This record gives sequence, structure tokens and C-alpha cells, in this order.
Amino acid sequence: MAVGARQFTRSPRTLPRKHLRRWVVGYLFLLPAMVMYGIFGLYPFLRSIQLSLTNWDGVQPKYKFVGLENYARALQDSQVWQGLSHNVTWVIIGTVVPITIGLLLAVLLWDRPRGTPLFSTIYFMPQVLPLVVIAFIWGWIYHPTFGMLPRVLHAIGLHSLARGWLGAPNLALLAVLLAAIWAHIGFVTVVFMAGLQGVDLELLDAAKIDGANAWQAFWNVTIPQLSNTITMIVALSLIGGFSVFDIVWVMTQGGPANSTELIATYTFVKGLSENLVGYGAALSMIMTIIALVGAVAFIRLRERES
Amino acid sequence: MATYPKVARQTQTRLFGVTWSRYRARRWLTRGIKYLVLIVFLVYFFLPIFWITSAALRPGQDVLQDPFGLPRTLQLSNLLKAWNTGRFNRYVWNTVIYCATTVTGVLIISSLAGFGLAQLQFPGRDFIFTVTLLGLMVPFQSIMIPLYYLARDLHILGTYWAMILPGIGLGLPFGVFLMRAFFRGLPHELADAAKIDGCNEWGVFWRVMLPLAYPGLITLAIFQFRNTWNAFALPLVLVPRDVLRPVATGMLQFQSRFTSDRAGIAAAALITSIPVLLLYLILQRQFVRGITAGALKG
Repeated sequence: MAVGARQFTRSPRTLPRKHLRRWVVGYLFLLPAMVMYGIFGLYPFLRSIQLSLTNWDGVQPKYKFVGLENYARALQDSQVWQGLSHNVTWVIIGTVVPITIGLLLAVLLWDRPRGTPLFSTIYFMPQVLPLVVIAFIWGWIYHPTFGMLPRVLHAIGLHSLARGWLGAPNLALLAVLLAAIWAHIGFVTVVFMAGLQGVDLELLDAAKIDGANAWQAFWNVTIPQLSNTITMIVALSLIGGFSVFDIVWVMTQGGPANSTELIATYTFVKGLSENLVGYGAALSMIMTIIALVGAVAFIRLRERES
Repeated sequence: MATYPKVARQTQTRLFGVTWSRYRARRWLTRGIKYLVLIVFLVYFFLPIFWITSAALRPGQDVLQDPFGLPRTLQLSNLLKAWNTGRFNRYVWNTVIYCATTVTGVLIISSLAGFGLAQLQFPGRDFIFTVTLLGLMVPFQSIMIPLYYLARDLHILGTYWAMILPGIGLGLPFGVFLMRAFFRGLPHELADAAKIDGCNEWGVFWRVMLPLAYPGLITLAIFQFRNTWNAFALPLVLVPRDVLRPVATGMLQFQSRFTSDRAGIAAAALITSIPVLLLYLILQRQFVRGITAGALKG
């Protein structure tokens, strides 16, 4: 207690020591975080970089430094390219669809029509559910014998599509993606609802007085004001879309016939199931680099535009 | 979207005892379409959740015939089966332990560090913060392999600590980020005033700043709770022992053990979801704030 009060009577001579004390106090506040994050966040990350340059198999105590061999091997691994192309599909559809629907719903709720709390509560609800549960619900919906989707498709005459989507190599990725989108739209909607709060209504009125119709006003006045929100959602989708794992692992484990194999599931298989630690680490690094570089580049690009 | 009454002088018709100008008719039509879209999506988001709930409460034989049928008789036997035979009593208890410890740990350590980064001055502060931000961007998959071997070498792989310690460590970047933002929002003069009154830094933190950061703590607690409760990849890698499983991987285990018991699996899914769903319905605003802030972290 007295320490603080004494500071005011200190002569300038003791200033460095006073600084030192303040620094130490600052570091003490940060110490627990640095220790915990250092051990369980930073260290594994650096170790991942290091392991990606070795041929460790996870069992033997010794391993050899092999340079960029794992990365070279990954570039020649057709499964990697296949996985990445699935990730690209995931990013594109998984960004465009939620943004379109989320924006639509947010605009419909913009002037807070009656029932808005109910709508937004329910829309956001899937976002809260554990991913295993989401995967399970949609597993039922897609089920070939009793699933809801095949039944509906039969009823409307689309018999060729009415089969187990998760078992069909050409539909499985889309099926998993649709389940993920179902869970994600509520989040995008809520973010857009917050973004719309900041839109300048006077500007919108001015556009209408100048003769813009509702669509023109929306496209030319509202959307540009939402550009920060959109940039952020896209950046998040880039990171999320290149590292997606949970829902795919639960629903299909990468199958059938590798049709839902993504870079993250392939990393898991190689690095942890097959014990190819070095190779798995290299794959995880490739994933991280693509996700981060993609997101950062996108944000920079948008910043330069505006 | 507002339409303008420039067509209000059109011919008028009477219907349902009301005079309908064309403008009025158009307004009702747009409103009707708007509600139609909103309700279609309401059904789309809610129906799957309803199916799970109803399948969990219907008799097993019923569900086997048609999982999407309407509930006629409701009973709790599926839930009891998942709870006792399906070992969900164990899974839920484990998850409660993981959540309680992880949330407490993240709250304490994040508020200490957040306060330090926001209100104190020392060399390297900005660098430390940048490294923290890096932790927000790196996907879990890029550290999961070394994390497994780290847990093995620390001899915590078969214990509760294998979930708790990494859980805290990985929750910190967002926690520190959020608490720093909160403490930065509090005026510096408060700290100065408290120091004149004889408080040291700890006193400023504990007595003055922390109580004011209460909303931030609540947001962080809810966000971390939901993350720990729903955690899947972390226990998949680090908790191979069944007796230590949390609900998420426990449910996967249950599914593979009782493949044909559809009602039982639905009950397991319901048990897995109910705590987060209830918390969401009670503390909706904080929940949404936590998740959106958690995503806006980049």
C-alpha cells in the first residue's frame, strides 16, 4: 500500500530503479499467461515447424533432419492436391451461400419487424450446438433408408437424387458442406445485423430522393457501407474453410473414396493415425500457411481498395 | 425496404371491409413475402433441433419405424439409458470438470495478462501482444501433432490434465485479447486515483479494475464454456481413455456402440446439447456477444 504513495517523494535519482520495479510488476502480471500459452500454444507450433523438417515416426527416439523433403513429397502427393481442391470448394460455397442468406435475413430483420427476437434466437441456435450433434442430425436427414431428404426428393420426383448423399462420392462433400452451412448462417446473420446498425440511413434516403430504386440503393449505398463486415466474414471463412476438420471427421472421415478428404483430415490420418509425424507436420504447416496468407492477403487487398 | 407512396392516387377497391389503394396492397404483399421468408428459415433452422428432441423422448420402437414421426407418447427411458448404460453420467461429469477448471483458469490468467497489457508499461509489451494475436489465427490442426507428444512426454495423457492444461493454454489468446480490450476501455485516471489513495498495482487491478471489467469476464466465461463443452478435436487427440471422455467424443463412442438404437443416440445428442442450449436461451445476449467477438478476433 505504502509503495505507491512513496513514489511521489522519490528523487529523480532513483528513477531507473523505479522503472525496474514497474517492469517487474508488469511481467509478473503476464507470467502465468506466458507460461501456459508458451508451453501449450507456442511451443507445439514451433515444434510443428521443426518436426515438418524431419522424418520422425513418433516411436523411435531418434530422427533425422531431412530439410524440405516432406514438403516436396506433399507437392507430389495427389491426395494433397485433391484435398486442397475440396478445401477450395468448401471455401467458395461456404462463403457465398452464408453471406447471401445471412445478408438477406439481416436485411429482412433490419427494421425490427414483430417477432425479431424469436427469429434471431432460432436462427443463431444451430451455431451453439456441438458439432458432433450437428453431424448426427444431418446424418439422419441424409440417411439412405429413412432420411428426410431422400423422402422429400422422392416425393417431388427427383428419384435419381434420392439416395444416401453421404455415401455418394459426387454428393458427399456438398452434403457435409450443407450441414456446416446450416450451422453457420445464424452467425453471419447476427454479424450482418450488427453491421446494418451502423449504416447511414440519411445516405440511403438521399439515394432514394435521387431516384434510386430499392435494389439500386441497397447495392450501391448499403453494401459498400458493409464492406468491413463482409471482409471480416470472408477472412474468417478462408481460415475456417482451409482448416475445417470436426464435422467432416464425424460425418464421413474423408470418405467415400476420398471424396470428402480435406487437408485437415488428411493431416490427421497421416500424422496421428499412420504415425508419419514429420509428413503430417509438414501438411499441417501447408494448411496453416495457405489459410493465414489467404486471409491476410485478402484483408490487405480490401484495405488498399478503400 | 420502404416503398414510397407515389402511387397512392391509384384506383381503390374494397376488400375485407378495408379500402385498398394499390400502395396499401403492395405494402401488404411485401410484408407477407417478408414474413414468409422469415418463417421458412425459422422452420429450416428449428426443425432438425425439434426432430432430435422428439426422437429422444419417443419410445425406441416408434423411432425405429420413423425417426421423424410426431411424438405421441413421451418418456424418459432413452435419456436414462444413455445416462446409465451409455455412460453419459461419466461423460457429463468429466465435461463439467473440464469446463469448471478451464473457464476458471482462462478467466484468471487472461484478466491478469489483459490488465498488464492494457494498463502497465514495460518493454516488449507490444511484441507480446503480437505473439498473442498470432495464436488467434493459427488453426488447432497445425499444433495437434506436437501437442499429443507433448502431453505424452509430460505424462498427463491418461489424466484430466491432458484436457485441462492445453484447454487453458489454447483459450488464452482470445481471453487475453478480449480482456485487454476491456481494460483499455477503462480510464487511466481511475488507476492514478487509486494509486494516490495508496493502492499498488495489484490493488488497482483487484479492487478497482476487475470489478469494472465484469461484463467482459461474463462474455469470456460463456465463450470459453461453450468452447470447452463442445470441444471435439482436442479430446479426440488427447483423451483416448473412455472414463475421461467429455460428452462430444463420448457421443461418438455411444454411436458406435449402439448403432441400431436410434432413440438412444438421439437421447445422447440431446444430453450433449442441452446445457449449452439452456445457457444460450438464458444468457442469449452475452452468448452472441462472446461468439461474435470470438470470431471477430482476427
